[in-house]
Amino acid sequence: MSNQEFALLAHLMRRAGFGATRDELEAYAEQGYTATVDELLNPGDPEVMPDDIIRRYHVDQSELRQLDGAGANWLYRMITTKCPLEEKIALFWHGLFATGYSKLNQARALLNQIDMFRNHGLGRFDNLLVELSKDPAMLLWLDNTDNHNGAINENYGRELLELFSMGIGNYTEDDIKECSRAFTGWTLGNAEYMAVRASKDSIWPYSRIAWHFQYRDWDHDEGEKTFLGETGNFNGEDIIGIIARQQATARFVSTRLFQFFAADEVDGDGEQVIEAMMQSYFDSSYEIRAVLRTLFLSDYFMSEEARYARVKGPVELLVGAIRQAGSYRAPTLGVHQLAYQGFFMGQGLLQPPSVEGWHEGMEWIDSGSLVERVNFVAHELSNLDKPGVRAIIDRLAAENGGVLTPEQLVDECLDLLGPVAVEDDTRTALVDFAAAGGGALNLSGHQPGDAAEQRVSNVLRVIASTREYQLA
Amino acid sequence: MSTQGVMQGVTMAYLKTIGIVNNGDNGRGFANPHDVVVSRDGRIFVLNRCDPARAAAIRIGICNLDEEYLGEFGNGFGDGDGQFGLPVAMALDSQERLYVTDEHLHRISIFDTSGTFLGKWGAMGSGDGQVNGPAGIAIDADDNVYIADQNNHRIQKFTKDGQYVGQWGEKGAGNGQFNMPWGLCAADGHVYVADWRNDRIQKFTGDGTFVSSFGNSGDGDGQLSRPSGVAVDADGNIYVADWGNERIQVLGPDGSFQQLLRGQATLSKWAAEFFAVNPDEKETREIADLTPSLPPHLETPYQISSQIEPYFWGPVSVKTDADNRLYVAETNRHRLQIYQRN
Repeated sequence: MSNQEFALLAHLMRRAGFGATRDELEAYAEQGYTATVDELLNPGDPEVMPDDIIRRYHVDQSELRQLDGAGANWLYRMITTKCPLEEKIALFWHGLFATGYSKLNQARALLNQIDMFRNHGLGRFDNLLVELSKDPAMLLWLDNTDNHNGAINENYGRELLELFSMGIGNYTEDDIKECSRAFTGWTLGNAEYMAVRASKDSIWPYSRIAWHFQYRDWDHDEGEKTFLGETGNFNGEDIIGIIARQQATARFVSTRLFQFFAADEVDGDGEQVIEAMMQSYFDSSYEIRAVLRTLFLSDYFMSEEARYARVKGPVELLVGAIRQAGSYRAPTLGVHQLAYQGFFMGQGLLQPPSVEGWHEGMEWIDSGSLVERVNFVAHELSNLDKPGVRAIIDRLAAENGGVLTPEQLVDECLDLLGPVAVEDDTRTALVDFAAAGGGALNLSGHQPGDAAEQRVSNVLRVIASTREYQLA
Repeated sequence: MSTQGVMQGVTMAYLKTIGIVNNGDNGRGFANPHDVVVSRDGRIFVLNRCDPARAAAIRIGICNLDEEYLGEFGNGFGDGDGQFGLPVAMALDSQERLYVTDEHLHRISIFDTSGTFLGKWGAMGSGDGQVNGPAGIAIDADDNVYIADQNNHRIQKFTKDGQYVGQWGEKGAGNGQFNMPWGLCAADGHVYVADWRNDRIQKFTGDGTFVSSFGNSGDGDGQLSRPSGVAVDADGNIYVADWGNERIQVLGPDGSFQQLLRGQATLSKWAAEFFAVNPDEKETREIADLTPSLPPHLETPYQISSQIEPYFWGPVSVKTDADNRLYVAETNRHRLQIYQRN
């Protein structure tokens, strides 16, 4: 396995997952790039931390009354899954179909929505939109509980067309009204009681009551509707069938997937990939899995051009560092602080700033969030007690009898943390830093936490602070 | 899966519900109750495990069967005397001193029933007398203290002062082996163990000799999913908190299946007082169907219980009293459901 092949796999795992440890990369390398893409796109048993183990230890995650425990619960899955794309695609849809705790006061409904993204997020887009339209969190978030026969509320219908499928400019105001009529009667069980409880953030008397979808046929508008030029007695599923057939929908979905998985900015080469993704969308009857396969196997995605072309989102950064460090593999007191950490970096899980989701790319970075990002990653990856850091030290100690020049130390650490490709001047600065620790490093006979290990820790900390580590 | 009782021998009838959620303020209500004991004078002690983010609510609340809230003790989250990390279970000794296990601090704290801190013992480890994640606790008539040493997968026996007496078990699924044991009960010279991840109850003599085992994995009658608590009444009937199935099972003295309880909570006195001053919630609640049918993807016991408020949700512990009442502590619903043996 050449370094270039490792680098390509590492690139894939940063995008389709949350990065990979060297052990994981070696396992992927054995099966090759294409087989790895197909494994990621067809998730098996994720072998996540068992739910019973989590719920026994964390009563707050069993009850899911509040937001912090729910965010931590999802983070446990991201940290421990063996099927990272299943979580990554859920994170993508969470950003696109952004639904937040602030209005709902119902963390369980949000986690159930995330579970729906896991189950349907790589399947047919029309199925996903039907599930989304029946999703209790979405129904309350965009007021479809107030969308009645003869008294429509357009909020969900409007966002379905504007933010979730076609984008503005591809439909009329009349289409929004007709779309909304088709979704009348799509609501929650016990909608009136649940709406009062949500509005008051009521946990009384016996904690939250979770939500489920209910179709009220007596509140559905059975009249004829004309939507995007087609006329019929449409219900919600019919509307979604029409939406899924649109060229604008194929372009919207493909572009958003490209920006999340390939590059923040779309250039001419990227535009060609998006065209190919759109073709896969129609050829596969709207399968997201097929669209992503086209992307991951494209020359563009596999080229140097696509490397480090995205700023890691806060959750990607956080989870990636934790997976690399091997932390939180068992229930851990204070895990809910991790959910806060993402919020401090600008991405609070289950609490997007609005229905438009997060503004990504360079907008992730400001002086405050950058400090949080660097501090967290540096702390995680320089902690000599972490299993992942110990694994790096063990590999270093096995090289050249454990004796490494400053150049070797830097290059090996960059390799084992990614590989991370850095600019020449960054590498020079890293080597100068490593050399300042005192000539060649000798890890032979090293003991946990001794001076030799501390030098490795210092180099890992500084690498984690580089610009390149902040990019995916 | 059936949801309510199939009756053969012993049967239990629903009596009442006590509780309301407490969000960390002082005063009545429970915060993720994890265990319950009843003193000889009828006071009900409820262990509020809660979580460190709501540190002040980690404490022991006291009430009675008439739903009078009598007070609370324990100094919240922390490792000082009288404080808790992750408290799990309680037991009373012959002098009605209250022993509380703590799986985070790896210790047992002791109080009198007025809440005065009396002492503590325990140290983390896997050696004789050391514990790793102490969970269930039971005290027999001779004041021997049994601890479910969760992460060492064994039962340890101590004097009431914490002196090591003996131990049995190791990780495994054979007779006398355990996988993360949780609830314990000492009755009639025997020790019953909720062998949590083996989905069974094991019965031993007081010195650890294996006697019998009840249950296997599943959701049928007599089958168990992650049992967390076990209690035995004066006639030897066995009550199991079938935590993963969100139900209680009643077994005869020989382990034979008797009855399933799925929960049927009504408004406690405190809950009724809440609705009296919140008419908007009361009115919409009265037209709501609190036991709705659910779509297929929500039909696990856990999801059902999250949706259907009267059902048990997180029934973590069962205890009996001298009057043949059964107390079920529900972690996720912040209440006790109480049943009376017929």
